[in-house]
Amino acid sequence: MGPLEGLAYGFSIALLPGNLFACFIGVLVGTIVGVLPGIGPVGAMALLLPSTFAMHPATALIMLAGIYYGAMYGGSTTSILVNVPGEAGSVVTLLDGYQMTRKGRAGAALTISAVGSFFAGTVGVVGIMLAAGWLADVAIQFGPPEYFAITLGGILLLSRLSGGSILNAFVMVALGLALGTVGMDSISALRRFTFGSVQLAQGIELVPVIMGVYGVAEVLLLAEEGIAKTQIASVKLRELLPTPEEWRRSTMPIARGSVVGFLTGLVPGPAAVLSTFISYTVEKKMSKTPEKFGTGMIEGVAGPEAANNGATAGAMVPLLSLGIPFSPATAILLGALVVHGLQPGPLMISQRPEVFWGFVASMYIGNLMLLILNLPLVGVFVTVLRLPQHVLATLVLLLCLVGAFSLSNSFLDLWVLVIFGVFGYALRKLRVDPSPMVVALVLGPMMEKTLRQALFLTRGSVVDLVARPLSATILVLAAAALFAPLLVRLVRGRGFAKPTP
Amino acid sequence: MLARAVPLILLVAAGVYLTVALRLPFGAAARPGAGFYPVIVAVFAIVVALVATASAFRGAPGAGAVELDAAPRRRVMITVVALVAFCLVLPWVGYPAAAFAFVTVVLRYLGGRWTTALLTGVLSSAGSYGLFAVLLDVPLPHGPW
Repeated sequence: MGPLEGLAYGFSIALLPGNLFACFIGVLVGTIVGVLPGIGPVGAMALLLPSTFAMHPATALIMLAGIYYGAMYGGSTTSILVNVPGEAGSVVTLLDGYQMTRKGRAGAALTISAVGSFFAGTVGVVGIMLAAGWLADVAIQFGPPEYFAITLGGILLLSRLSGGSILNAFVMVALGLALGTVGMDSISALRRFTFGSVQLAQGIELVPVIMGVYGVAEVLLLAEEGIAKTQIASVKLRELLPTPEEWRRSTMPIARGSVVGFLTGLVPGPAAVLSTFISYTVEKKMSKTPEKFGTGMIEGVAGPEAANNGATAGAMVPLLSLGIPFSPATAILLGALVVHGLQPGPLMISQRPEVFWGFVASMYIGNLMLLILNLPLVGVFVTVLRLPQHVLATLVLLLCLVGAFSLSNSFLDLWVLVIFGVFGYALRKLRVDPSPMVVALVLGPMMEKTLRQALFLTRGSVVDLVARPLSATILVLAAAALFAPLLVRLVRGRGFAKPTP
Repeated sequence: MLARAVPLILLVAAGVYLTVALRLPFGAAARPGAGFYPVIVAVFAIVVALVATASAFRGAPGAGAVELDAAPRRRVMITVVALVAFCLVLPWVGYPAAAFAFVTVVLRYLGGRWTTALLTGVLSSAGSYGLFAVLLDVPLPHGPW
């Protein structure tokens, strides 16, 4: 199936009433959790995952992904109007977005950010269509050594990019890899690290871990504040229209942000967050008046807001064509597919076209819904910010508890939720990002299986394992990314020895 | 305190992990057994946890983590205690009672009024029980009554 034919087929799937409804619920929930500070898309996706078990896999994917990209729209609303990021991908937006609100241009900032997000979402979908198909064709030839290199390289890159110190990221990776070995060994069926517990033989489930570190931990942070009142700027409908000048200045940043975002999404790492910082830096460098950034420049809103949406689309590519999730959000999407016995990978596009193309087409529809939800109805969503925060926090906790239990009716999942909630809270206090742990927990079992299969193939020769052209390239690239900053520092330190100001 | 405790705990855990991993069949490079990969992970974990612990103890005590005032710390502690208590009593008193008590207590201590706390407790426990146990058929424990 060619891209156009596939897309037409996809629309016939995505426009089915059930899928349309799932898409709407997804983007609606996404917008709401995006608007609410403290509760992010990953926690919400984990919470709603159990409710998708009864759905068709395409429907499940459509709804959960809707939450993910929907949150990128909603997050900017809070950044612009309240000066608090609705979620991590909107931190950069508040630099210039809130300044625009102070100058009375909140409406323009909201419109530009929604239109930018919409444009980037559309570009991203085209990107997925082209890149995922191409990558899947290449990936059909991959064997265990290549998959091992991709998972290992991905984890290394992620540790480099996750922000904060590499050491902390490595500690998180080690913990995630170790947790991934708990339970039945997939090759020899031996029980490992279960300490005699029957329940632990199933392994440590991803979803309660994610609900803990992204749901419970964030509510514990909210609990510190107790009752907090938010100051919200109000926007009238006719103020939403940007001036022609504002439109003109936003065009190129949106276009650049879309591309930067999509490309960042392809690389392992916290793409949505990272892409906004990259886009902001790019716009500042391109600008004739970089010193004005931070005082309400529309370019500083347009670029990053397009970028974070492009990134959510880009992140779908490795998931859909290789079956490898590089972020907690795509790990949940993988979980939703695996529950239905679907193994995302190079064969999924041709074997289950209704899932792939239905999902791609739904992203077009979802982005259109989001444009409508976020512009005329922005006032409605802002009212959720007036909900008393302590009531909301308590209800989210209860939902996490009942949601974790309902995954597999297990008390163990409940304890995993609480333990990782407290642990995640401690990590936040230490400013350590838990996402390398989550990704390592998902990729660890894949890495072990491919490593053992690959060693079996090469009869135990590590040299043969890494010397295959593709695995070597991937590993060299990952190592370069890991050590490049260190080398640059060394070379600079010796070559220039500039006195520090 | 936290900045030192977390890496230290992880270091101890990595040590325990290694001793268990070493008891699993290691196999050989050409036929890796169930313990092959865990041993590699354990060595990696011990090295990074060791470096992290060392660097945490080299820095000034209390560096890294921001100390909380008494009131916010109490709110977090009570929420954590309530979460643990919920897990402990759920099998014995059942979901509706545990959920009601959880919501009421947490909401009250986060700063809600008694009336709000009680009302939200009743509504949320009944609502979530209806949604999950009745509509979605989740076998939530209902307790002795």
